[in-house]
Amino acid sequence: MTTMDRPDAPPVRTHKENRKWVGQSIRRVEDPKFLRGRGGYIGDMTVPGMLHAAVLRSPHAHARITGIDAAEALAAPGVHAVITGAQAAQLCDPLPDFGPDPAKHTWRCLAVDKVRYVGEGVAVVVADSRYLAEDALALIDVEYEPLPAVVDPERALADGAPLVHDDLGSNCAYERTFDFGDVERDFAEADVIVTDRLRWHRSGGQPLETVGALADFDHATGELTVHTNSLSFTSYLFMVAGTMKIPANKLDIRPVPAGGSFGSKLFATKPAVIAGMCSREVGHPVQYLEDRVDNISNCDHHGSDRVYDVRLAMMRDGTIRGIDIDTVEDYGAYIQFGVGHHGNALAQVVGPYAMTSVRYRVRAAMTNKNQQGAYRGFGSEVNNWMLEQMVDKAARELDLDPVAIRRQNFIREFPHFIPTGNVYDSGDYDGVLDKALELSDYKHWRAEQAKAREEGRCIGIGLITAQERSVFSATEFWFWFDEPGAPVTSMPESVTLKVDATGGITATLYSCAFWGNSPETMVAQLVAEEFDCDPHDVAIVYQGSKNGLPATGPGGSRTTVMLAGAVEGATAKIKAKALRAAAHLLEANPDDMEWVDGGFQVKGVPEQRKSLADIAVMLHLFKHSFPEDMESGLEDSKVFDHPYTTMPSADRKDLGVFYPFMGHACHVPVVEVDLETGSVSFLAYAAVHDCGTLVNPRSLAGHIVGGTAQGIGTALYEEFVYDDDGQLLTSSYLDYLIPSAMEVPELKIGHHETPSPYTLHGIKGGGEGGRMMAPAAINVAVNDALAHLGVRVTELPITPDRLRAAIRAAKSRESG
Amino acid sequence: MKPPPFQYAAPTSVAEAVELLGAHADDDARALAGGQSLVPLMNFRLAQPAYLIDLRRIEELTRIRTEGDTLVIGAMVRQSHAEHAPEIAVGAPLLAEALGYVAHPPIRNSGTVGGSIAHADPAAELPAVVLALDAELVLAGLGGTRTVAAADFFTGPFSTAIGSGEILTEVRIPRRAGGHAFVEFARTHGNFALVGVAAVVELDGGTVARASIALSGVAPVPVRATAAEEALTGTVPDDASIRAAVDAAVAGLSPAGDVHGGRETRTDIARSYLRRGIELALSRAGDRR
Repeated sequence: MTTMDRPDAPPVRTHKENRKWVGQSIRRVEDPKFLRGRGGYIGDMTVPGMLHAAVLRSPHAHARITGIDAAEALAAPGVHAVITGAQAAQLCDPLPDFGPDPAKHTWRCLAVDKVRYVGEGVAVVVADSRYLAEDALALIDVEYEPLPAVVDPERALADGAPLVHDDLGSNCAYERTFDFGDVERDFAEADVIVTDRLRWHRSGGQPLETVGALADFDHATGELTVHTNSLSFTSYLFMVAGTMKIPANKLDIRPVPAGGSFGSKLFATKPAVIAGMCSREVGHPVQYLEDRVDNISNCDHHGSDRVYDVRLAMMRDGTIRGIDIDTVEDYGAYIQFGVGHHGNALAQVVGPYAMTSVRYRVRAAMTNKNQQGAYRGFGSEVNNWMLEQMVDKAARELDLDPVAIRRQNFIREFPHFIPTGNVYDSGDYDGVLDKALELSDYKHWRAEQAKAREEGRCIGIGLITAQERSVFSATEFWFWFDEPGAPVTSMPESVTLKVDATGGITATLYSCAFWGNSPETMVAQLVAEEFDCDPHDVAIVYQGSKNGLPATGPGGSRTTVMLAGAVEGATAKIKAKALRAAAHLLEANPDDMEWVDGGFQVKGVPEQRKSLADIAVMLHLFKHSFPEDMESGLEDSKVFDHPYTTMPSADRKDLGVFYPFMGHACHVPVVEVDLETGSVSFLAYAAVHDCGTLVNPRSLAGHIVGGTAQGIGTALYEEFVYDDDGQLLTSSYLDYLIPSAMEVPELKIGHHETPSPYTLHGIKGGGEGGRMMAPAAINVAVNDALAHLGVRVTELPITPDRLRAAIRAAKSRESG
Repeated sequence: MKPPPFQYAAPTSVAEAVELLGAHADDDARALAGGQSLVPLMNFRLAQPAYLIDLRRIEELTRIRTEGDTLVIGAMVRQSHAEHAPEIAVGAPLLAEALGYVAHPPIRNSGTVGGSIAHADPAAELPAVVLALDAELVLAGLGGTRTVAAADFFTGPFSTAIGSGEILTEVRIPRRAGGHAFVEFARTHGNFALVGVAAVVELDGGTVARASIALSGVAPVPVRATAAEEALTGTVPDDASIRAAVDAAVAGLSPAGDVHGGRETRTDIARSYLRRGIELALSRAGDRR
C-alpha cells in the first residue's frame, strides 16, 4: 500500500566477466604490519609532555550529586588537573546526539547534577601517569543522594516509575506504531494467529582494544588535534567541534587503527572530547584510553535489549500473511542514535518471506543502564531472531516441516519491495537453502537426532533462513519523525587515487583508519582489477579529517560497496586523462584506443601502446609535451554518494528505499543439550552466505566465522547483567563471558553469489551476517532438541540457569 | 586498572622471605607467587598490599620430590610444570588431571601450585584436590615450620590457616591407590567452575574400600562429600548405590548463587558432576565388580 509513486531504480548494470582480482582470496595486505606489532594503536602512541587522564565512575545506578570535593586529589603527586562534571559542562557543550529531542535527555561527557547508571563519569583527573591519575581518583570525595533505580524497560514505562530524565516527563523517549500494507485484512483472514513473547538481553561488541584518544590543543593557533581509534568522523566532524566549542576548521581528527570495533567504535566521541577538554585545560597533550571496566560500563555502545510481543498471521497451508510486532527496547540512560536500530529491523522485517503486511510498534524506554550504540547487526539481528522463532513456532503449531514452511514463503521475484518500502535488489533463497542442506548434511543429522533420542540424548538442528541488509542510508535515522531535525540523504564515501611518475598507485581512504577487517586488501583488489596491477603493489594511506573528503565510514556493511563505487569513479577520471595523454603521445584518435592489460593501445595495433607508467612519467615531468589545458600529475578523487536511496512518504506508510542491497544466509547448527546441567554444545555448524559478488572469499569467511562466534556469545554466554538496583554484575571478563576457540565449533562455510544489479561487480555488503544469523539458529536448534520434552526457550542468552529453569518447569508440568 | 603504589622485595630464600614478612607485618605485606590472582586483584584495587614479597626467586620452593609414600611439592612449582611432571602423574594423578582445568596454559605457566592453594578461591581446583587427598600444608614463619592438614587449612573464602608472617612452602600429598578423577563444570573453558569434583575411590574385590570425594564451588570453602563417601564405602557400586551416594551428598549442599548460576542450578550441576566424578573414578579403579 504505497502512498506515493516509487522513484525509478538506478540503471541495471552489466558486470565485468573474467575478473582477475575481484573474487580472489589474496593474502591480506594489512597483516604484516599488525602481525609484527607495528600497527600503531593509541596505546603505542607517546608524544613529548603527554599526560594521562582517568575518569571517576559512579558506583550508583541513580543518584543526585550533592557535592564533589577534589582538593585532596588536586594536591596529590603528579596531578595537573581535576575536572568535575559541573566544570566540564562549562568547558564543553553536550555530546553529539542523534536521538529524539536531545534537550530532554542531555548527554554530556561527564554527569552534572545526577548520575544515571553505574559507571557514568563524574570527574576526570589529569596526571603524569595513568597510575598517578588513578591514585588521585581515590581521593575525590563525591557526595551522592541515592535515588531509586529503574532497570526493567516495561517497569520503566509504567506509571510511577522513577524518572531517568526529569525533563522528559516520562521514561518513554519515543513511541510510534507504523502500519505497512493491509494488516487488518491479513489478520482477519488468517486461519491461525501464532503469538509469542520473546526477550533478548543486552550484550555488546568486545574489541581487544578499548576506545581511546590522544588530544593536543594548541593555544597559539586555537587548533585541536585528536588522534583517535573512533570511526566515522569525517561526515560528522562539525558536531565534535561543536561540543568542544571550537570552529570546525580548527579541529583535526587523525585516524589511528582500531583494535576491533564490531560497531562499538562507531562515532565514539566521549573519549575524544574528554582528552580534548583536558588538553585544553592543562596545555599538554593528554591521552585517555579506556580500561576494560571503563569500556564495559561506559562505552555507550551496548547492544539491543528488547522485549517482543508478536503475532504472526498464518494460513493453515503454511502461508505467512503478515506480522504484528510490539517491541519495547531498553535504551539505557541516553539514546544517542535514536531508534535507528529499528530502522535496521524494518529494512528486512519480513525476512526472506513474501508476507504482505507489517504492524510495528516501538517504544524506547529510558533506564538506569549504559546507553546503546552499535553492535554488529545494529538491531536487525534481533529482528531475524524474533522472526525465525515465530516461523519455527508456526511450523510446530501447524505441524509443518521447518524447511518446507520457509521454502514455501520465499520471495522469488526481484527487485522486490517489502511492505515497509525497502527493496530487496536480488536473491536466490532456494539456491542458498539447497546448498546449506547439502553442506550441513541435514538428512544425516535428522537421522542422528532420532537415534540419539532413543538413547535419551537431546540433539537439535537449527535451520534458519534470514536476511543480511547492507549499505545503509541515513533516512533510517529520521523517517521516525514527521518533521525530522536533520534529514540527511546521502552517506558518501570517498577515495583518492594517485598514480606516481613510475606508475605506482596510492589509494587514500577517508573517515577512519583500519578498524579490524580488510579495507586495504579490498581496496587494493578493486584498484588492481581496474588497473591490472598486483594488489600487493597498491599503497593505502588514511587521511585525517582536516583535509578529508566526505566519508561516512564503516557501518551497516556499507564499506565495500561504497569504496568500490568510489574506486570506480576515481579510476574513470584517471583513465580519461591517461587516455587523452596516450592518444596525444601516439598521435592517435582516443576513440580508436582501448585499455588492455595495464595501458592504452590502438585497437588492433598492440605495438602502438603506452603503459600506465609511460603515461604517468610524461604527465608528471613533461607537461609541455601536452596540450595547454592538461595539468601535470595523474591523481583524482571520487566522492561516491549512496547509489540507491529514496525518500519516505509523508504519511510514513512507505519508508522508501534505505537498505537496498540484500544479502541472505542459511545457518544450520547442530547442538546437543545436556539436560542435567543446562549447557549447550555444538556437534556441527554449517553456514551458507550470499552477499552478491565476492571480492575476497577468505576475508568474507573471516567475517562469517567472527560474526558467528559473536552470535554464539549472544545466544549462550554474553550478557550485561544489571541487578534490581542497577548494579552492573558483569563489569569484567570474569563475569561477562566471551566464547573462545574452545566454545566455537569449526564452521563449514559455503558461498553463494547472486550479484546485485545496481553495484560495481554486483557486490553487496557482508560484514555482519554471522552475528545476524547465529543467535536465531542456535535458539531454534536448542528448541528443536527439547521440543519433545515440551521445552521452548524464548530468552537469550540461553544460560544454564534459564535452560534448567525451563527443563524443571516442563518436568513439573509433566508430573503435576 | 592500575594498582596503588607498593614496595617490593624479591628474596632468594625462605628464611629471607619470612624475615621480610615479619618486618613488614604492619604494612599489610603480601607474598606474591605466580601473580595470576593477586595482581588482577591489585589492578582492580581490591587488594592493596603496601609491601609485596615476591617468592619467585626462591629456588628451594620449586622442587618436586618423593619421600617414601609422600609426594612433596614445593609451593612455587609452576602449575604447568606440575601438570606434566612424571612424579605427579604417578603419585597424585588427581592433581595432574585437575591442573588441566586451571584457567589456560599461559596462566598455568606463571601460576603456582602453592599460590592457588594459598589464595583459597572457593571455586578453584587445587584446594579441592588437596582436601580429597588428605594432603598436608607446610607453613614457614619466623618461629620455624608447622604442618596443617588440608581439612583444617581452608577457613573461609580466600582465607586459610596461614598466619601473619607465614608462607606456604610445601604441599605434602600421601600416595593414594585407586581410581582418581577430577571433573568440573565451567560455563566457558578455563573460566571459574560452578562445580568441581575431586574423587578417589579404592576397590577391594569389587567393593568400595575407601572413597574420598571433595567438591569446589558449592560452599565458602572446598568441602568433603562425607555423606557420599560413607554411602559408597562397603557397597558394590552400581547405578543405584551411586545415585544414593550422590543424593546423600547433595542433600547437604546449599550453594550460593551468582550471575553464572543460581542455587538450584548449582545444586543440579553438583548432582550431575558428582555422579560423573564417581563413575569416572570407579572406571579407573581397576577392579570394579
